[in-house]
Amino acid sequence: MSTVTLDKLTKVYPNGFQAITDLSLTLSEGEFLVLVGPSGCGKSTALRMIAGLEDISSGDLYVGERRLNDVPPKDRDIAMVFQSYALYPQMTVAENIGFPLKLRKVAKKDRSQQVQQAAQILELTEQLESKPSMLSGGQRQRVAMGRAIVRKPALFLMDEPLSNLDAKLRVQMRADIAAIQSDLGVTTFYVTHDQVEAMTMGERVAVIKDGVLQQVAPPEELYAHPDNVFVAAFIGSPSMNLYEARLSAADDGGHLLQLGDHRLAVSPSLMNNRPALARYVDQPLVVGIRPEDLEDAAVAPDHPADQRISAKIEVREALGAETLMHFSIAAPTVDSGDPDALDELGEEDTGRCTARFSAATRARVGDQIEINVDTDHLHFFDPATHEAIRS
Amino acid sequence: MRKTTPLSRFGLHATLVALVVWSVLPFVWTFQTSIKFTRDVAAKKPVLWGYETTANAYKAFWLDADDINMWSVLVYILAVAAICFVLGQIGRRVRHGWPWFLGVAGVIFAALWRFPKIWEANDEYDFLINSIVVTVLTMLISLSIGLLAGYGLARYTGISGAVILIIALGFRALPRTAFVLPYFFGAKEIDDWLTRTGVGSWNFPLIDFPGIDTLQILDTRLAIVLALVAVNQPFTIWMFRSFFMEVPKEIEEAAMMDGATRLQAFRKVIIPMMWPAIIATGLFTMLLAYNEYLFVRVLAPTEWTLPVAIVSLTGGESSRTITEAAAASVSITLPIVVVIILFQKHLVKGLGAGAVKG
Repeated sequence: MSTVTLDKLTKVYPNGFQAITDLSLTLSEGEFLVLVGPSGCGKSTALRMIAGLEDISSGDLYVGERRLNDVPPKDRDIAMVFQSYALYPQMTVAENIGFPLKLRKVAKKDRSQQVQQAAQILELTEQLESKPSMLSGGQRQRVAMGRAIVRKPALFLMDEPLSNLDAKLRVQMRADIAAIQSDLGVTTFYVTHDQVEAMTMGERVAVIKDGVLQQVAPPEELYAHPDNVFVAAFIGSPSMNLYEARLSAADDGGHLLQLGDHRLAVSPSLMNNRPALARYVDQPLVVGIRPEDLEDAAVAPDHPADQRISAKIEVREALGAETLMHFSIAAPTVDSGDPDALDELGEEDTGRCTARFSAATRARVGDQIEINVDTDHLHFFDPATHEAIRS
Repeated sequence: MRKTTPLSRFGLHATLVALVVWSVLPFVWTFQTSIKFTRDVAAKKPVLWGYETTANAYKAFWLDADDINMWSVLVYILAVAAICFVLGQIGRRVRHGWPWFLGVAGVIFAALWRFPKIWEANDEYDFLINSIVVTVLTMLISLSIGLLAGYGLARYTGISGAVILIIALGFRALPRTAFVLPYFFGAKEIDDWLTRTGVGSWNFPLIDFPGIDTLQILDTRLAIVLALVAVNQPFTIWMFRSFFMEVPKEIEEAAMMDGATRLQAFRKVIIPMMWPAIIATGLFTMLLAYNEYLFVRVLAPTEWTLPVAIVSLTGGESSRTITEAAAASVSITLPIVVVIILFQKHLVKGLGAGAVKG
């Protein structure tokens, strides 16, 4: 249990590829921090640098007061759970879990007692004498966890530990891991590409892209106030709709948001809360709309009529508690820079929009409907830097 | 799938029987020859059954006395085998079996050591010892080097690694006869240098092997081992490399995170996963060293191993030596057959894909 400090960690591979640039993070004692990013963004490299499996090109790594840059992995007092679990196939579950203790020359009696304890926490008592090949995926995952928790390390590292499990088990293990971590109070650094996992498990979430840290914040904060277009689009499912737009002064002294052919009246409170927006009047900017800030006008008729857009429903996904609607609006979309999302968008995708309607909606595919836009919750970004326009 | 008719099934079985007969027949013939009297072997019309059996050929090959009951020798061998079997079975069942397997090795060593003291053994017995020494040393050295080199080359992906592998493969592809003379002349040069400078006849303190007065390479078991290790090394390296490639890198990384050094990770985690590979590669190495003729004949003109001793019997004028040669062939083949039967499960596992996957 210690604080962990990453100070401008940088990783440059011999072929010149820079995987991580100036990564600075501080984990407080017992914190659960999730590092999330699209595939190939360098998050696993960051983890392996902390583990000592990759050299640190520059920058410093501290656990507690100890600088770990040149300490070999075995002496770092860090436990790691691998994506592939990396269990030792020739050893039983008990031997797998007890292996770190055996290497530390813990007496046999204490060892088996501690293994029992870990097995109890993870509900593996029945399987202690089995070989890993006889276990299910979830059980293997728990053995890998057991090997990490049995020695009470200063820091847990977890490298996408749930990605090999099926969806249902993943949800359960998500809760289990979070519960175990908070029970043990061990500082944890968790890497995933799954933003749902990041949001549900992390006390704080760090978003990384192309080796550069984008934003670190508690999940709610990250969702409500993304620092830039990438974070805005990456966090949240379905992801935020992003368009090029233009803000202009209206005749009545208010402001209008031009979204392609659509015009939305912007409430004065919004302009007051975000004075920086005044500088973007008559300038291009990027606007972001969360799917839940769109609603079928037929369901909520009280909404001001000048804060509506009209569109034709193309795809309808009824999820029970809510209904997702896909339609197009005539405004150019903005590429968030998420390499995983590109495939989803497909080519020549202009103005694609996803809305999260309440289940009460009666709209069907092909209907031309009016859609309310909650302009108070719009997100604005600079078109050049993609940084949020907030203050 | 097509239905099997009685006719097709008969054809299949007939083919299989023919194949089995075809491959077993030479050995059956040799075995028969080894227990026949010379008059039956030399008879113009082959005597295939109903002949009188004898163990004289075995006696003549191995022992230097006539008045020995061969049954007692057989009982001795069977007793040793039984003790080894029991020790081995215990070793397989208990948790840490290696002391028991060490016991098996000890029993075999003691039996080999006692044998010529109980019965008068021939010179051929020394060739058996030579065979065993050469085989065991060749296996130990080439497996150790192969394991380390294979591991290194599996984990190191740079260009020089590929170059080493290709060169090794090239050496493997060259005919072995191409190496014999270079090795011979190389060894001769070293021996000449040892004689010329007098280094060969130095008296080293502490290192005083009984029976060795002067250092030399030619005509020693060392020469055979060195040559065989060199010839066999590309094979073991390639074998082990391909097995190591199947071991995920995360496993040793996990071991290192768990507190192991790289060497500990290798020894305690990786090597135990490699047993099928070690046994398979070891068996092939054993067969190579045990059966080698050419290198032994050239590099060790008098320090023979058994294959050379047998060949020397087949070229003679007397038909009496034919039965001796047959008896010798049978006696050197049987231990190998036993070893293969004991380890065949691992042999198949080692050669099959995914042997080391969890």
